[in-house]
Amino acid sequence: MVDLIAKSACAGLLPITIGSLTLTEETPDPVTSIAPFKGQSEAVSERLESALGLKFPAPNRSASKSGARIVWAGQGRALLMGAAAPDLAGLAALTDQSDANAIVTLKGEGAEDALARLVPVDLRAAHFKRGHTARTFLGHMSASITRTGVDSFEITVFRAMAGTLVHELTEAMESLHARRSHLGQ
Amino acid sequence: MRYSGLQVLKEGLFGQKGWKPVWRDPAPKSEYDIIIIGGGGHGLSTAYYLAKEHGLTNIAVLEKGYLGGGNVGRNTTIVRANYFLPGNSEFYSHSLKLWETLEQDLNYNVMHSQRGLINLFHSDGQRDAFVRRGNAMINQGDDAELLDRAGVRKHLPYLDFDNIRFPVYGGLLHRRGGTARHDAVAWGYARGADQRGVDLIQNCEVTGIDIENGKVRGVQTTRGAIRAKKVAIVTAGRSGQVAALAGMRLPIESHILQAFVTEGLKPVIDHVVSFGMGHFYISQSDKGGLVFGGDLDFYSSYASRGNLPMKEHVMDAAMTLMPIIGKAKVLRSWGGIMDMTPDGSPIIDKTDTEGLFVDCGWCYGGFKAVPGSGFSLAHLIATGNHHAPAARYRLDRFRTGYGIMDEEGKGSQHNLH
Amino acid sequence: MRLTCPVCGDRDHREFTYKGDAVMLDRPAPDAGTDAWDSYLHLRDNPCGDTRDLWYHDPCGAWVVVERNTVTHAVTGTALASEAKR
Repeated sequence: MVDLIAKSACAGLLPITIGSLTLTEETPDPVTSIAPFKGQSEAVSERLESALGLKFPAPNRSASKSGARIVWAGQGRALLMGAAAPDLAGLAALTDQSDANAIVTLKGEGAEDALARLVPVDLRAAHFKRGHTARTFLGHMSASITRTGVDSFEITVFRAMAGTLVHELTEAMESLHARRSHLGQ
Repeated sequence: MRYSGLQVLKEGLFGQKGWKPVWRDPAPKSEYDIIIIGGGGHGLSTAYYLAKEHGLTNIAVLEKGYLGGGNVGRNTTIVRANYFLPGNSEFYSHSLKLWETLEQDLNYNVMHSQRGLINLFHSDGQRDAFVRRGNAMINQGDDAELLDRAGVRKHLPYLDFDNIRFPVYGGLLHRRGGTARHDAVAWGYARGADQRGVDLIQNCEVTGIDIENGKVRGVQTTRGAIRAKKVAIVTAGRSGQVAALAGMRLPIESHILQAFVTEGLKPVIDHVVSFGMGHFYISQSDKGGLVFGGDLDFYSSYASRGNLPMKEHVMDAAMTLMPIIGKAKVLRSWGGIMDMTPDGSPIIDKTDTEGLFVDCGWCYGGFKAVPGSGFSLAHLIATGNHHAPAARYRLDRFRTGYGIMDEEGKGSQHNLH
Repeated sequence: MRLTCPVCGDRDHREFTYKGDAVMLDRPAPDAGTDAWDSYLHLRDNPCGDTRDLWYHDPCGAWVVVERNTVTHAVTGTALASEAKR
């Protein structure tokens, strides 16, 4: 049997630093999609809390605890990253999503401004606080965007979109940097 | 007054004082043989052909605003006969033949310009589809030529042929396709109908349709009741509202389609060109403006204006196909209200009410159909029989499932076309 | 035009895909007959003014009933289709 070489979604593309911003790849493992069955949200949440200390997130929210993160990912669905899911048999549909997404972190002063060029949602800190997440568009792609710090965002798209994601973000970072250099900021 | 070069010269010499209003402004009579609701392109051409082809002149065209103030004054003026399906093919073929003699027939310059239409294709599969369409056009007796890459380059050297995503493989050239001056078409038909005795009544909104025992008796309007044994609803864009006056629901949703025009430029685009991989088509008006448009906004609307995402999409497609357009400045954008049917094809038919006719559902293709639609509806009203080229435009085809004409092959369902 | 996803909040119209009149929520019985099905599938009130229609919020997967005006494009209310009552 041939040993295939594992490559991350953004291998060879990242990291990139432009001006004050850096773009790096995240490779949490494993990643599991958790979709509670009808009427089982509470039970799923309790089971998750007892196993990992993380509740099933409310819409537009995420949570993290000792390396494990859970991010709301659309109606009735969340992604658990960096920890194996507890036994949820009969309570939720679990799907292994490890390596299925391209996940990147955009970090640095001006990250909001770079994303504002691509995302039709207000991501400024007054509205969009640490731990808040949004399912929205980045350019023409569906994306999950989560604020992970004062000036850092985690962005998740389908793995096949990795090249486009990096291209779009790089262009936004370059444009922002060029504008700021021009204005002497 | 008959228009001619001599007349223009004479008026020029005598201070342009002899020109007369092009049509009368009559008050509505209490009764007509035929009432046509809607003074747009289709309504006016229907009145004209009723008078010219069938000798019927006791007709009123009722228009709630001003003549030609609806979609006939708001389209992108393209005239073509490049349809594929039986039913559409013969209808648009007939309509194009009427276009070709229209100016002589009306004694009116509608600036019909057969500058050639080129539909571009960008893949082998798309080429096959266009070969098939071209054969259907030729079988119908119309013209079609397949252009390879070099052939397209000869006509349209300014395209981005080697675009990575959408390289130009070739195009289907329809030489008899082109454009016409949209307002002039309405004015020409209005003048022709008026000269033959048709009453064109503006600022006259129909507020009710009188029906007794399943037969139409006339209409109520903002200028009084008018009796008639035959009434035709020719109000594409507002078909649902007018049909509701007769207690009908139509298989139509009204959608918005945006169009754009740039500042006037020297001649640069001398064909009608359509992109095969995004929604974008363009021509240049005689005034110099680049007239272009794209796809529906895809939500029901009567707003005569669209939203920004479709504008962005159209501009994106334009820049992809012809980067030179990036230098042009857009002057105006606007929206037309499209009568969208589930299968994307129109309706010219009788209704369950005796004497009541509908001509609607023209989707985004009503302008080129103006002569054909009027001719065929006039035939139906005058003789009671469907005119052969429009015989498949039945109102009940969705209910029965028989005779669906889904030109785009997307299915017969709202919001797919 | 901006629409409010009941789950995600106020969002750009680009994030939504249009389905059509909310009459689609009232599916007739399989044996309801040709007229009922013709009415459901094809015939529309097509109002010039207030309307109710169905939109899909692509990023989060919610079906949304939107109350809006077809003349002004004003949006007056939204609700999850799964909870909307006619």
